[in-house]
Order: sequence, then structure tokens, then C-alpha cells
Amino acid sequence: MPSKEQVLRLLSQGHDYGDIAERLGIPAGRAYLIATGVPADGSDSVARGKPGREGLLTSRSQHLVNPREVNPVTRRDVHAWIRRRAWMDRPMREAARG
Amino acid sequence: MNERVWPVLRQLTGKDRLGKGAAVRSAATAALRARTAGADRVVKSVCPYCAVGCAQNVYVKDEKVVHIEGDPDSPISRGRLCPKGAATLQLTTDSRRARKALYRPPHAADWQEIDLDTAMDMVADRIIATRRATWEAEHEGKRTNRTMGIASLGGATLDNEENYLIKKLLTALGVIQIENQARVCHSSTVVGLGTSFGRGGATTFMQDLVHSDCVVIQGSNFAEAHPVGFQWVMEAKARGAVVIHVDPRFTRTSALADLHVPIRAGSDVAFLGGIINHVLSNELYFRDYVLHYTNAATILREDYRDAEDLDGLFSGFDPDTRTYVTDSWEYEGMPVVTATGTSEEAARGVGGRVPEGWSEMHGAAGATLTGTAQRDETLRHPRCVLQVLARHFARYTPEMVERVCGVPQDLFAEVCRHLTENSGPDRTSEFVYAVGWTQHSDGSQFIRAASILQLLLGNIGRPGGGIQALRGHASIQGSSDIPTLFNLLPGYIPMPHAHEHQTLADFLRSDAPHQGFWADMPAYLVSLLKAWWGPSARPDNDFRFDWLPRMTGSHSTYDTVLAQLDGTCKGYILLGENPAVGSANTRMQRLGMAKLDWLVVRDLNLIESATWWKDGPEIETGELVTEDIGTEVFFLPAATHTEKSGSFTNTNRLLQWHHRAVDPEGDARSDLWFMYHLGRIIREKLAGSADPVDAPILDLTWDYPVEGEQGEPVAEAVLAEINGWDAEGRPLSRYTQLKGDGSTVCGCWIYCGVYADGVNQAARRKPADEQDWIASEWAWAWPANRRVLYNRASARPDGHPWSERKKLVWWDEAAGHWAGFDEPDFERDKPPGYRPPEGASGTAALSGTDPFIMQPDGKGWLFAPAGVVDGPLPTHYEPQDSPVVNPLYGHQRNPARKVYEHPDNRYHPSGHEPGASVYPYVVTTYRLTEHFTAGGMSRGTPYLAELQPEMFCEVSPELAAERGLVHGGWATIITARNAIEARVMVTDRMPSLHLDGRVVHQIGLPFHFGPNGLARGDAANELSSISLDPNSHIQEVKALSADIRPGRRPRGPALREMVAAYRERAGIVAGTGTEV
Repeated sequence: MPSKEQVLRLLSQGHDYGDIAERLGIPAGRAYLIATGVPADGSDSVARGKPGREGLLTSRSQHLVNPREVNPVTRRDVHAWIRRRAWMDRPMREAARG
Repeated sequence: MNERVWPVLRQLTGKDRLGKGAAVRSAATAALRARTAGADRVVKSVCPYCAVGCAQNVYVKDEKVVHIEGDPDSPISRGRLCPKGAATLQLTTDSRRARKALYRPPHAADWQEIDLDTAMDMVADRIIATRRATWEAEHEGKRTNRTMGIASLGGATLDNEENYLIKKLLTALGVIQIENQARVCHSSTVVGLGTSFGRGGATTFMQDLVHSDCVVIQGSNFAEAHPVGFQWVMEAKARGAVVIHVDPRFTRTSALADLHVPIRAGSDVAFLGGIINHVLSNELYFRDYVLHYTNAATILREDYRDAEDLDGLFSGFDPDTRTYVTDSWEYEGMPVVTATGTSEEAARGVGGRVPEGWSEMHGAAGATLTGTAQRDETLRHPRCVLQVLARHFARYTPEMVERVCGVPQDLFAEVCRHLTENSGPDRTSEFVYAVGWTQHSDGSQFIRAASILQLLLGNIGRPGGGIQALRGHASIQGSSDIPTLFNLLPGYIPMPHAHEHQTLADFLRSDAPHQGFWADMPAYLVSLLKAWWGPSARPDNDFRFDWLPRMTGSHSTYDTVLAQLDGTCKGYILLGENPAVGSANTRMQRLGMAKLDWLVVRDLNLIESATWWKDGPEIETGELVTEDIGTEVFFLPAATHTEKSGSFTNTNRLLQWHHRAVDPEGDARSDLWFMYHLGRIIREKLAGSADPVDAPILDLTWDYPVEGEQGEPVAEAVLAEINGWDAEGRPLSRYTQLKGDGSTVCGCWIYCGVYADGVNQAARRKPADEQDWIASEWAWAWPANRRVLYNRASARPDGHPWSERKKLVWWDEAAGHWAGFDEPDFERDKPPGYRPPEGASGTAALSGTDPFIMQPDGKGWLFAPAGVVDGPLPTHYEPQDSPVVNPLYGHQRNPARKVYEHPDNRYHPSGHEPGASVYPYVVTTYRLTEHFTAGGMSRGTPYLAELQPEMFCEVSPELAAERGLVHGGWATIITARNAIEARVMVTDRMPSLHLDGRVVHQIGLPFHFGPNGLARGDAANELSSISLDPNSHIQEVKALSADIRPGRRPRGPALREMVAAYRERAGIVAGTGTEV
């Protein structure tokens, strides 16, 4: 099992947790836990004293342990549908022309 | 890993003697893999239970949901889930979940399976036939264009997009009896907050609690009913805030509070009135705030008479109609017209009677004030609002609070001290409430009382201040905003009332307020009509305004039950709501359904509202015989939140998107699918019809794209229509872009902006860690993504913050606009010094010191000259059934409350009335953390059922001794409606109260249980009656009277015999309890 010193040393050399995980043969989330003592999935409360810990990510640590995230915010087919609805409403277009 | 097998050997022989390292893992442990690690994808979602809106990560592997947990990126929940949220994996994947469509033919003894397409076709046929048979073109000479033969109920558990299609389709079909849980839950909030401030929703958001110096939780068990949201109260407490819990029971909320104040259920107006009196009598109000931002200085008419003058009544009461003529409540020289129909004065018929149902139109929308207000800036004029307020509340002394509420005077004084010491320029206090306030026959006034108090203390619109209305379903705020409610159109535009020759112009001219943002109602309404009827909606046909069915009175869910009993309502559609457990007088609900021709139930499981004909309580008593019941029943299984995409609006007006993770199995479908395809099938069947009655449904815009094997409508397209677009098909960004000339489309004006720039703003998930405490880039809140409403009031009249400590928005002189942490709830470039010119209208009529921009005068209303039909000021009345005499006034109950005289809805004698002692105890109802509303989403979930397996009642040791109740034993609780049994919990946390020279015992009942599912029991709502707040039509279930005795209840006909014997002993007859 890699040690905390090993992980922190690699961090200080500029490697991210993904690289470190590959180098050490452990999951990225485990590397994070070893280095910081904080679970990457956010399942712990970050109490006083922890925020200053070396190796702690300020945000999005859950990406280290989660699979592909699905959260689309746009759909081009919906945009096309809106345009078609507007185009089919002749009175609306006439009103816009004033 | 070390080759030695036993971890303990490695521990003892290796370097890790304490056994804390990974070296001591067993081989089996080392081989374990987290379900999350092996998943194919994680889909962003939102918990489907309460209205906190905790974000969820849904893990999918091989197209199955394998895990659900909290999303730590959420600024609201920070990754946490309560027991219910943590059980959603089981809720959604349990093998016992209903996945097959079922059909019960008339008079059949059991279900039979049915093909889903066949069921849809049959349901469409029933709707068409019933509509045709019950079509009403006119009612008493007034055009109505509707059917009273069909009703729907639900759903606050559904997505906004689903509620939108329900309202759109059923309204186009002429159905007016459209309701949902919001009616029975928080409808009083819309009236109370809407009338006071201009919008009927929470004025703040949960995370803002950290800025509070004092938090008063009343009418809510925050820690147990909204557990994850309660973390913000604890954050406030950690920063030094005082937390006060006012509640009949000592709960987990009380345990974490600094102060618990036991109070008699139903006496909150007296309690709050006492604090108001304390503030006014000792001049502890925030004077500058009150003077500039409220109507305190406005002078009232000379003929106004207060409850002080008329022993609990206000001027204008008509005892024959039990309604008020409200002219005398108006401002001096400023007649009020409320925002629908013709003016009240013109609409009154012979004898000054206000038409039935008029009250439905008040409160939700603004009022029109014509003329100029007369003000006394010294606040000394005897008829100025502040002085009228002081006089009205003068009798609410600490002694009276003790008599009415049972709160000792020293405890009351402590509450007053904490509140007043923590309100002012440098400090703010917040009120948090839930249905302990709303569910009363004067529930709207409970909220009005808190609104008045918070205005006097200067807490509205300020960080750490405001009023937090804790709503209780995932999207009940949404089902009010996009209302599956009979009296509203989307965005709180009132439904039109039936009048002869009422054109769109008449409707708008008489009502559209001339000041404030409601002055733009033409733009909001026309854009909505364009969304629904597209090219068919043109200026020359009033944009199809005629196609909207008309109200002629109250068409609330309780009126629908009576219509079912008398045979006029023949078909009923239940969409994720369970009235056989969750509505008042559940026996009447079931008896009503037994008179239907047909019933459609859509839910995750076979709830009581689907199975009453087979195994309901009336089958057991013999009142109903299965083979005699002709109701045709369709059960169509519903999809869960992981099986559909859509948005929920949480209790803080925040729209959050949840994505479909997997397709539903079997016959389960989303309600979006159901409504869309039902509409499609109906339109196909009516295609080619030349009957003008069918035109509204045939011309309805109903071309949503569908996808997948199941033909699921694309929810984002519905969201886009709700948001609106212009004539070029460009999504709109703000409601100020809407036009009344037909050149814009918008399904719900208050949601305009949620799809700005063609981006689903509700799906934004920028982590909280990357934002400030406002977190404006997480999801989207209405209006215009503002989080604290009325935040102009967080600055002084000159635009500078009241204090550095409490700054939120302020006027940036150099930039020439309002700036701050939150989106200003004010015209961005209107300077503080702006004063409207003579004759100004619309938003130009609001000055630079009018923070309440939806009010016609821009002020917070301490006194409500319009919008509240049972009094401009809150007044203590006893609940419908109460063993206590009202010591404040001669009127025992709310004179204007709505009563329903019916053999199955008998009321109790109360106070000193003969027979009141037959039902001597106060009953209150409440939630449990582990169950959810009427139980359909929790009692069948094993984890939750295991945690709370059966119905129980909580009683004090004193009551237990008085009635011979044994802890762990059984008790029977009886009212004039019904009797139930429950396990007894004898506990100090349900205190008996000493008030007015006597001891009043209280009984606590959770309301989730019913006979179905794994966790079973009798329903608390068997006991409650239908007695309604006249503003909101919400029932009184938080305070009633009952008797309790040891032992189990009778079975069979003996149950009804016992209820009848009680009635006889109490002398209950037809008119009992209906007195004014």
C-alpha cells in the first residue's frame, strides 16, 4: 500500500491524482484518501483544520471516483424544434413585424 | 498483500500493531469493489421526496440503477441525504414495485391485467364520452365552456413539465376541477405571503440561514421533516444564532434548539399577535424600514371597523353569506380592484353579495389601487395603519398568550427579547414554518401574522431574515407555479370567472393592476395563450381567451368530493396523490370515489386510492360491498424520478433538473408520457370534428418531439415552451421581454429565463465550492434567478446598506445600477431617488424606495386592504373543533370559514357548547422522517417501513393516567367522522398545557399510515373534517378535538355504531359547529 509521503511527493512534483493512480497502481480516489485523509466522494464533513491539508482539492474531487458523468444542458434538436414552432406561427411573426 | 491470511496475525506480527492500516484487510475485503466504481455512468438527479431538493448521483451499470447517493457539489444539501433520500434506490428498484397495467371492470371482485395501449384507448374514450355527456356551455346565463364531469388530482411529486401538460391538456378539454397536493398543503402560503409581499413563495433560501442571528421555527418540525435543510440551522447556531422552536411537541428540532416553547395546537395567531403587541407597545419596530417600506403610514377609510370594535368581526360581514364586503377596508381615497374579473363593486349582485368563488381570485395576483394614498409620516394619525395595528393587537397581552396558548409569560418574554434584540440594522431574524401554520380554517392569517411581525422588525428582504415556507413535496412549489390548481393559470394568473360578454380586454382592463410588475399581465397572459394555441391564437379572436373554461365558484378538491357524492363528477384521474389517506375526511374521499363511473390511478404502487373498492375500510364495515360498486378502475404504473427527465422546483423557488438514468420497465411510464399520448389519442379520435366544442383540443399545440422505444416526450422541449421564445425562435431570457401583441410565447412567465440562451439553466451544476454562498450558477430560481426576494429592502432608502454586516444589494452610484451579492429584485437602473411622475403606471409608478415590486403601492402590507377575504388583520379564532373557549372574542371560530354540512362530515360542539366535553382532547398531526405524506412512496419501501413500522399516538403521562392508556398498548381515537386505533407512546414530549384555568391534553398522530403496504395502520385523516380556510380552501387538520380510550377499535359494523353513539352523546345534529 503506498504511503502518504509517496503520494504527496508525487503531487509536489506536479502530477495529478490520475497520474499518481497510474504510477502507483491504485484507484485515484484511494490516492486522494491516502494523501488527505478525506474521501474523494465527499462523504466526509470537512471540519476545522482539514481545509488547509496538503493535497486537498478545492472542488470536484468526486470526479476521481465517479464514472462518466451525465448532465447535458443543451439539446440541438430542441433548438430546431423551437425554430420550427416559431416559423409555423405566421400570426406571431406578423405581430413581431409590428 | 502479505501472504499470511489472517489479518490479526499480520497485525500482531507486522508494523501496524494498532490495526489501522490496509495491511490488516482480509482477502475477502480486498476483493470487494464499490458499486459506484464499477458503474458505467453517473447521472445527475434530485431526490423525489421533500422540497429541500437534495441533489443525487444515480449510478447505472448494464442499464440498471445500482446505487444512489448524495451529490457533494450541491450548495443546498452538500452531499447529504436523509433516510428517505437514502432509500430511493429501494424505492426505484424494489421488485415489488407495480409494473403492470391493471383494470377493474364495474362490479368486479378483483383486478385483471390489461394491455397498456388498450388501457390508454379506453381512458381516452371515457374522457371523450364523459366530456360530451356533461358539457356545459353556460351556467345561469354565463358562458362557461367546461365540463364538471371530470376532475384530476396531482401532482406535487411530478415534474414541472408534467404539471404543465396536465394543466394544458385538461384545460383545453374544458376540465376546471384540476387540483393537487398544494391545495391541501401550502395554499395558505400563496395567500398569506402573496398578499403581504406580492409573491406567494418563500422570501429566502435555506443556505441564507447561516446569516441569521435568531431563527424561530414554528408550525414546523424542521429537523425531522426537512432533515438535510436543517443543517443550515445548525450552521447558524454554530455562528452564534439563537434557535427557538415553538411546537406542541418536544421533537428533534426542539432538542437542538436553544429554547423550546410548548404551545397549544391552533393558537399560533394569538402567540404571534402577542409578539406584535410587544413590539408595538414598546416601540421596538425598525422605524425607518417600517416608514419607508411598508404601508404603516397609509390612512384607512373612516368607516373601517376592526375586530376590536365588533367583537371579532370586521366591518362588512354578511352573516347570511358568511362573507365580507370589503369596501371599508380600503385606503382612504384609493378603491381597490383585485386582479381578475370585473371590479368587486360591479360584480356584486342584489344585496351586495360577493359572488361565490370570488375569494379564489384574491391573493394570488396583485390588486389595483386607483388614486393617491394619503399618508401620515409621523405614524400618529389614528387611522394610519400602524395605529390601527396597535389597537387591533392591544388585547394580545402576555397574560392572554398564556390563557390561549398555554405559554408561560416568562417564556413568552424570552422569545420576545431574543427576536427584538436580533432585529434591526445590524441583526436579522428569520421565521421558518410549514403546515403547522397553513392547515387551519384561518391558515392564511397565521402566515399574515408572521409577515406583519417580520415587516415590523425589518427582516424581509435582508440576509438572515425573511420567512422560509418549508413546502413538503419535491415539486409542490412547481405545482403551484405551474398550477394543477383550479383557480390559477401558470404564473399565478387567475383563472377567468364566468361573466357575460367577458372579453380579454375586459378581463385585463378591470384587473391588470396599474402599478407594479402585475401591470404587465397582458403580456404574461397573451404569451401563455400563444404557447397553448399557437397560430390559432390571434388578436382578432382574443388569442382564444374564450377557450379557457370559466369558474363559477369554488372548484377545490373538496368541492369535487361533494360533486362525486351527488353524482355530477363522474370521472377522476389521480396522478401521484393518495386522497384516501392524505386528504381530510378520508372516508368521504372513498365514498365519493364509489359513486364515480370511472377512476384512473397512476402511481408507483397500489395505493389505498386504487384499492378501496376491494379492501378499504368501508368494505370491512359493510358500508360498501365490492360487487355493488360500479366504478371502473384503471391502475397505470408510473415511472420514478430516475426513469424520466424533468425539473422539480424546491421550496426556495429553485428549479433543478433530474436526468433520466434508465428507461422504466414493464408498463411503467412517466406522467409526461401519459399526458402527451392521452392528448395525442384524444386528438386522433376527435380529428375532423366540426363541433366548436372540440376546437380548443384540436388546435392545441401538441407536437412535442418523442424519443426512444417507448416514445417518451422530450422534457426539454416542454421546458423550452414554458420558458418561451420570440418570433424568430430565440429562447427568451427575462419576463420583461414578453409582449401582449402576440409576438412572444411563454408557458409560465415567472419561469421565463430558465431556458435562456437555449441552455437548460435548471441543469447547471457548478459546484458550491467554486461559488459564493449565493451559488447563482447552480440550477435556476424564479424570478430571474434571484435568491432573496425583495432584497432592495436590504438597503436604506438612499441605497446604502443598512449595515456592513447585513449588506446584500446596494446602489452603485458610479456604475448607475444596483449591485451586490444577489440578483437585485428591483429594476436594475432605477435609482433610489426616483419618484414617479403624476399619472405614471406600470413599473414607472414604483419609486426608488418601493422594494415590494409586485404590490401595487410597492409596500409590504401590514394591513391588507384586499386579497384576504376573512379580514385585513389576523385575528385569533379557535379551530373548527376545539374544546377551548375563545377568550379573545365572542366569535368562537372563523366566521368566514367554509363549512360543508353533510351527514358524513359532522362537526363537534366546541368551547362551552353542550356536548363539547365528549371530545375533550386536542389532536394534532405531523410527519415522521422515515415516511412521506400519504405513504405511497414510503410504506412499501422495506428500509423505511422497518424504521417506522406502524401507526402510533403520542400522549402525555397525565393523559395516559386519566384515560388508562398503557405505553405500548392500543388506543382508539374517536371523532364525529370516524374512529381509528393506534399503538400508545406515553411520553413527556407531548406535554399537557395549563391554560385558562384548566389542563388541556394533546394527542399527536403521524398522518402517513393506511391499510396498504408493509407499514400499515389506520389513517389519521379518518378523524378530520372538511372545514376550510375561505381564502385558500385548505382543510384544518393540525388542530381538532377527539376522545381517546384504551383498547383496539371495533371491527365491522360495530365501528360505525361506536361513532354514531358518540355523536348522539354529544348531541350532534346537522347544523352543529356550522354557526358563524
